[in-house]
Amino acid sequence: MPVLKGIDLDIHDNETLVILGPSGQGKTVFIKTLVRLIHPDSGSICYDGEELLTLSHKQLYRFNDRIAFVFQNSALLDFLSVQDNLQLYLLMHKAISPRDLQRRTLEALHFVGLDDDVLDKFPEELSGGMRKRVAIARAMVKRPQYLFYDEPTTGLDQTNAEKISELIKMLKKEISATSIIVTHDIKLMRDVADRVALLKDGLISFVGDRDEVSEQMLDFLYE
Amino acid sequence: MNKSQKFFVGLGDKTIAFFTNVYDMTYLLLQTIKALPRLWFYRRQLIEQIYIFSVKTLPIAAIIAVFIGLGATVQGTYQSSDLLSRAITVNVIFKSTILELCPIVLSLVLAGKLGASLAAEIGSMKISEQIEALETLSLDPVGFLVMPRVVAGLLMLPVITIFANFLAMFSSFFVSAVISEWISPQEFYSGLEMDFKTFEMYFGNLIKPAVYGLMIALVGSHFGLQTSGGARGVGESSTKAVVISAILIVIWDYYLGRLLL
Ligand SMILES: Nc1ncnc2c1ncn2[C@@H]1O[C@H](COP(=O)(O)OP(=O)(O)OP(=O)(O)O)[C@@H](O)[C@H]1O
Ligand SMILES: [Mg+2]
Repeated sequence: MPVLKGIDLDIHDNETLVILGPSGQGKTVFIKTLVRLIHPDSGSICYDGEELLTLSHKQLYRFNDRIAFVFQNSALLDFLSVQDNLQLYLLMHKAISPRDLQRRTLEALHFVGLDDDVLDKFPEELSGGMRKRVAIARAMVKRPQYLFYDEPTTGLDQTNAEKISELIKMLKKEISATSIIVTHDIKLMRDVADRVALLKDGLISFVGDRDEVSEQMLDFLYE
Repeated sequence: MNKSQKFFVGLGDKTIAFFTNVYDMTYLLLQTIKALPRLWFYRRQLIEQIYIFSVKTLPIAAIIAVFIGLGATVQGTYQSSDLLSRAITVNVIFKSTILELCPIVLSLVLAGKLGASLAAEIGSMKISEQIEALETLSLDPVGFLVMPRVVAGLLMLPVITIFANFLAMFSSFFVSAVISEWISPQEFYSGLEMDFKTFEMYFGNLIKPAVYGLMIALVGSHFGLQTSGGARGVGESSTKAVVISAILIVIWDYYLGRLLL
């Protein structure tokens, strides 16, 4: 059974697009498809006119340089310290001086509101909210052109969720990336979205500016 | 569906699952070989795995080796001292211990220890999206996770086995010549030297554990990467990893033994 059916969606440069939909509607599948973590059975995904689905492995890894993905489970590598998690990408792929590396790490860490003493901790020693912040910091260190968030506020309490949506807005300004967020959190959508797409039963029922989203639409979405 | 249909459908599913696993493991091995040129790039991971496959397994290897040596000697001397000369008894104990007993027991135990933890580690990374996170960081999961483990297994199991063989022989010497004075040290030594087949002693001792090490790492990684469905899936993967690699080890032990004769 197909999870997603005939989705047609344009994403504009520098916007924050929120794809809103109830749980289990294929939001995670959709956002992972956008970066080819999941290969769709058919269709096309273009970035600046370049087809993603036909890229070779090498080209895909080069494309990955332009994106960063904040996973629903944060997905920090649990055998690495926070510092190594933040630095892994730059260490493995970029010729960067130790000083610059340290500077960029701390910059990202402070940006998400964490102190230097978490650097030596391991993911399992952090709270869920802190892990999410580290995941956002790890995305920031990459300085991506496109930022993907899968349910960034799910599983967090009100205060933490608000902090995360604040961070998403700040980060967007800081590195002026195009942000794509999938969530079922209406409040997050109202806080951060420029444009909104509503996803239900594997179809997009509406795309438009945030202010065009009416209560009826949301009622219909979550009925 | 009636009973017989159910039986054949079940049989068919099992057969398909079996060949799918064989295919996937072969494919994983090929991918691992393809990732080998990137060994230097993944050197940090390799060093870490070498550490896990060697230093961390030495204590358990030492305990096993010492007691294999003791056990084999006690049995061997009791069972055959009336039939064979003492030097020949030592020779038989020596060869069966270091060519069969020690490598295979050690590999089976390490299949339990390393194979299970490897499958669980990779499996829990799989279900918590860490494998996908690696992809988005342009790190190939096979290069980053599987290849270092396979190489570490391939290189380190022979080392551990040699270490264990020495210990086993030492404990054998200790119990037969030092504690009980059943045999004199000179006789013991001449027993070791008898009909010494250099090729088997050196290469058989290296090749077999190398193959087992590769298999433990490959099978563990394979089932780890196949994990789905939460904590329970992780448990299932690590059980499968242990069972399958243990079966493969005993089968290969026979065929490699024949091949290397
Ligand atoms: N790799 C995949 N390929 C195809 N289908 C998948 C894949 N992963 C999950 N699915 C299926 O897609 C459906 C939607 O799952 P998905 O995780 O995308 O929902 P979701 O909207 O993100 O839900 P939640 O809000 O709980 O995170 C589920 O029925 C799931 O079984
Ligand atoms: Mg989801």
